Amino acid sequence: MKKIKSLFIAALAVLTTFSVTSCSDDDKDEVLDNYTRYQRAVDAQVSAQKKSDKAILLVAFGSTWQAAFNSFDNTVKAYQQAFPDCDVYLSYSSAICINRAAAWEHKDDGAEQRNYYAPNFWLHAFGAVKYKQITVQSLQVIPGEEYGRVINYIKDFGNNYLGDLDDEYLSEVEVRLGTPLLNSENDVKNVASILNEEFKEDAKTKTVAFMGHGNPSSEEHDYDIYKANVRYEQLETELQKFSHNYFVGTVDQNANKKEDVWARIKENGAFPESKEIVLNALMSIAGDHAHNDMYGQGEEYWNAEEPDSEENSWFEYFKNVAQYEKISTHDLPDGELRGLLDFSKILNVWIEHTKNPIELTEVYHSMYPEE
Amino acid sequence: MKRLMTVLVLVAGSVCVCGAQEKSDTLREVVVTGTGTERLLKDAPVQTEVISRKVLDSYGGRSLEDILSGLTASFAFNEGDMGSQMQLGGLGNGYVLILIDGRRLHGDNGGENDLGLIDPHNIERIEIVKGAQSALYGSDAIAGVVNIITRKHREGGVFLENTTRYGTYNDIRQHNGVGVSLGRWNSYTNFQTQHTDGWQNTSDEYAEAKLLHDSKNKTVNRYTNWQVAERVTYTASQKLEAYAEGSYYGKIINRPQDGNHPSCDVYTYDLMYRNASAAIGGKWKLKDGDAITLDVDWNKHAYYYKYTATTLEDGYEPNGRFTNYFPYFAGQRNLQSDQQRTMAVLKGVFHLPYNTLNAGMEYRYDYLNAPMRVRGGEADDWTAALYVQDELNPVAWLNVTAGLRLNENGGFGFRATPKVSTMFSMGDWRVRLGWSQGFKAPTPKELNYHYLRQMGAKTFYYMGNKGLKAQTSNYVTGGVEYRTSRFNVSATAYANWLDNMITLVNVPLSMVPEGDVQYYGDGSADLVPRMYKNMEDARSCGVDMNLAYNVTSDLAVGGNVSYLDTEAHAYDDKSERLVRVTIDGMAHWRWNTYVTWRHRFGRSYRLGVGLYSKGSSMRYYQNDGNGKRYQVWKLNTSHEIGKQSASITYKVEAGVDNIFNHVDRTPRPYHLGTTTPPTMVYASFSIKFHQGRKINTNIKKQNNYEED
Repeated sequence: MKKIKSLFIAALAVLTTFSVTSCSDDDKDEVLDNYTRYQRAVDAQVSAQKKSDKAILLVAFGSTWQAAFNSFDNTVKAYQQAFPDCDVYLSYSSAICINRAAAWEHKDDGAEQRNYYAPNFWLHAFGAVKYKQITVQSLQVIPGEEYGRVINYIKDFGNNYLGDLDDEYLSEVEVRLGTPLLNSENDVKNVASILNEEFKEDAKTKTVAFMGHGNPSSEEHDYDIYKANVRYEQLETELQKFSHNYFVGTVDQNANKKEDVWARIKENGAFPESKEIVLNALMSIAGDHAHNDMYGQGEEYWNAEEPDSEENSWFEYFKNVAQYEKISTHDLPDGELRGLLDFSKILNVWIEHTKNPIELTEVYHSMYPEE
Repeated sequence: MKRLMTVLVLVAGSVCVCGAQEKSDTLREVVVTGTGTERLLKDAPVQTEVISRKVLDSYGGRSLEDILSGLTASFAFNEGDMGSQMQLGGLGNGYVLILIDGRRLHGDNGGENDLGLIDPHNIERIEIVKGAQSALYGSDAIAGVVNIITRKHREGGVFLENTTRYGTYNDIRQHNGVGVSLGRWNSYTNFQTQHTDGWQNTSDEYAEAKLLHDSKNKTVNRYTNWQVAERVTYTASQKLEAYAEGSYYGKIINRPQDGNHPSCDVYTYDLMYRNASAAIGGKWKLKDGDAITLDVDWNKHAYYYKYTATTLEDGYEPNGRFTNYFPYFAGQRNLQSDQQRTMAVLKGVFHLPYNTLNAGMEYRYDYLNAPMRVRGGEADDWTAALYVQDELNPVAWLNVTAGLRLNENGGFGFRATPKVSTMFSMGDWRVRLGWSQGFKAPTPKELNYHYLRQMGAKTFYYMGNKGLKAQTSNYVTGGVEYRTSRFNVSATAYANWLDNMITLVNVPLSMVPEGDVQYYGDGSADLVPRMYKNMEDARSCGVDMNLAYNVTSDLAVGGNVSYLDTEAHAYDDKSERLVRVTIDGMAHWRWNTYVTWRHRFGRSYRLGVGLYSKGSSMRYYQNDGNGKRYQVWKLNTSHEIGKQSASITYKVEAGVDNIFNHVDRTPRPYHLGTTTPPTMVYASFSIKFHQGRKINTNIKKQNNYEED
């Protein structure tokens, strides 16, 4: 038995040595380095672009469609004209959109390869070069979950969440927040009247349906944390003051999806004799949702066994279920679908929000954030 | 039943060939897996399927998947990035215990072992025991045990061996062995590498809500793996032997970067694996073949993303906060999971006057480090077991093997799993009956995983489930075998009932915990939450039939047919009722056939020719369509050059795989019946050099526990 015992002890000793040496973590150093390295690419852009003490950061969810790139480019230009004393930057808040724009999604559709960065990296770079005034403008439509994330980015920045910005600077920097398109009920009225100007001819004889995104909510889970979905209902109410042919639905808001829009059309007795419907995305740009969820055509967008399926597009739904005979959109001159940023008057609503921002006087707390 | 008979008749009547068995081979084959003691296959009390060295030599397999699917009807595979998708008796790899010389293969990805860890050219034989029939290895072998017995090279002097195999799609397999024997010391070093450029059976793919025709995704991606292993044995005395061994393994799977659709065929990272092992142990040989062995081993299996372009991914900000926006650059890697296991097994075999007793104890500690996939980054688990198994021959025609394994798991408590096998012998006939229970605690991954992945157009949120219950099984089997020196036929029926079978299922969005709301942001409407859940019940049952006939000393024919049926029920959270669910990958019928002819011309040349086929009926899945039926054929020729006694011998193999070019071109991501590539040709060259005293390794003279 002695032999067994000594074998067992020797075996355990050797194995313990192995296990201990193997547990060292070789990925830790890389973490710090990566962040700095990535941040430096953004820092370099800011250093090259900085001409003023004031910066505007536009925050969009993001997209990889060329039509969206164009809309964002035009938006930046419009901002540069409207704010000649400010440096204007645009960021994506979606990591997937950032990765895919860099990986050249829609190359075969003629899109460009683009590099966008997330808001935290831009804000950090602004802090490093000490912009005196920073305005973060949300390009969201409703003050919902995505807008909440924009606010969190600002909080992180103000709280010096990485601890490497100058605290004295952070206590003095003027940080301002530009609100989403439909931030207030006045915004809703304003946007409704702009949309009516664009679509009023259609609304005389056709259904005009807008497709927003919306935050899902249910009894178990409420992602509509700011109760912002109400803006879609308010917008429909305002638009219907112009014509009973206007409807506003969403991709994700419970009880306000395509089938609910169709139910309201029937309920209101608003199915037009022309059997025509005009669709438009109620989103800042025409990206995946507009191209696929709204205007996707063909068998891949239609499952007749489950007409209400989220996989089915609005186009196929209104064609097959509602029996609309003509479905159209108000395209841009180049034939691309329109997002809201492509309507100059709506873009101006956002610009007005930037001109009248919320002053975030309490943004700076301490070196140590509250979380 | 009519179909069953038809297939049997076809198999029996087919002029096919297989692993050329020499006349007395089938009676001399020895197995160890079922009882832990060396038994002639014919007299093994636990029904054991064997793939012998000679069969392996004739077949010329490129990988373990190829060997197991081509030479038995029991297994199904669907080779892909996430592993081999192995199935045995309708159950996945998670229920199949793969042993290398009696020790557990370590490390999985999504429950799939990396079979690249096994060098196909260093296998002596493979033994398959179905169901949790043996008390020796772990009650978690609910579907069965596959024991890979490696070659031992115990000849004296110096031994060198190289096999290089090359085939279509730059398929390279290389095996190198160096054995040195000096006095009491024996060393064997093995280096192997496997590579393929991969293949694409179709460029059609459903993505972006349409059928794309220019997808760059391959059916099997390009990969390269390599492994170096060393084993040193020290024979202190005739009674005491000790060993130390270690291995290091690396694998990289290259995914397309040049596609046109980042939502499906442009990847900014490859998949990388690193596996290491170290083991020491010894064997104390007592009198009359009794022995006590000790094995202590440590294993590590790490899985990384290796970036090919700048990518924002899960990571930790410099302040330690988790983020989905951590930047990684080309060339860097990001650890997804590192599974480490430390295990000690002490066991003994004792031949008593009327019976043979096996007893042992085992302790296993599992540690999971998954910074991006587990809350807190890590999880662990331990299992301890005591077992005893007794072989009793009360009368010459009856063998009873009874075992009991007592399991204690860190999180799931105590469970005893009994096993009983009986064998009745009547001349060349054997009747075997068996019953066994299995027990498998949820793995740290099943309990703790928690991560978001974008795959194609959808975002999946994978959730472990702390509420999982341990899985238990009841397995019964009964079989009849007739075996003579030239003819062997057997039929074995089995049924396996599983309680609380764990499976990954889609669950409603409402199942995502409230605190995980931050994960929702990027996923938009396409978030698909998936959670590990216990099914209410699951049952698989089937019949395996084998036939082997050595028509002459050179010519052999044979085949296997396997019938399987499965049924499972799970509680559906959406409809709030019990629903019937398909066990993914199940096919009712699988079969294979062979014809082999092996003949020596003069003293220095032996020719072997083998024609093999394998097939499967439709494979059923819960989602994304069923896999089509298939039948593929393979021709292998082998040419052994040199006298058997010469110090250098050569062997050339050449063959055609998938002769009739059966290709499943179902568009991605729908299920394929088989991922087999179009017709492949291959050739291999082996050279063996041996200098020094040859030791007679006649299997009959060994009576020791031969597991290691």
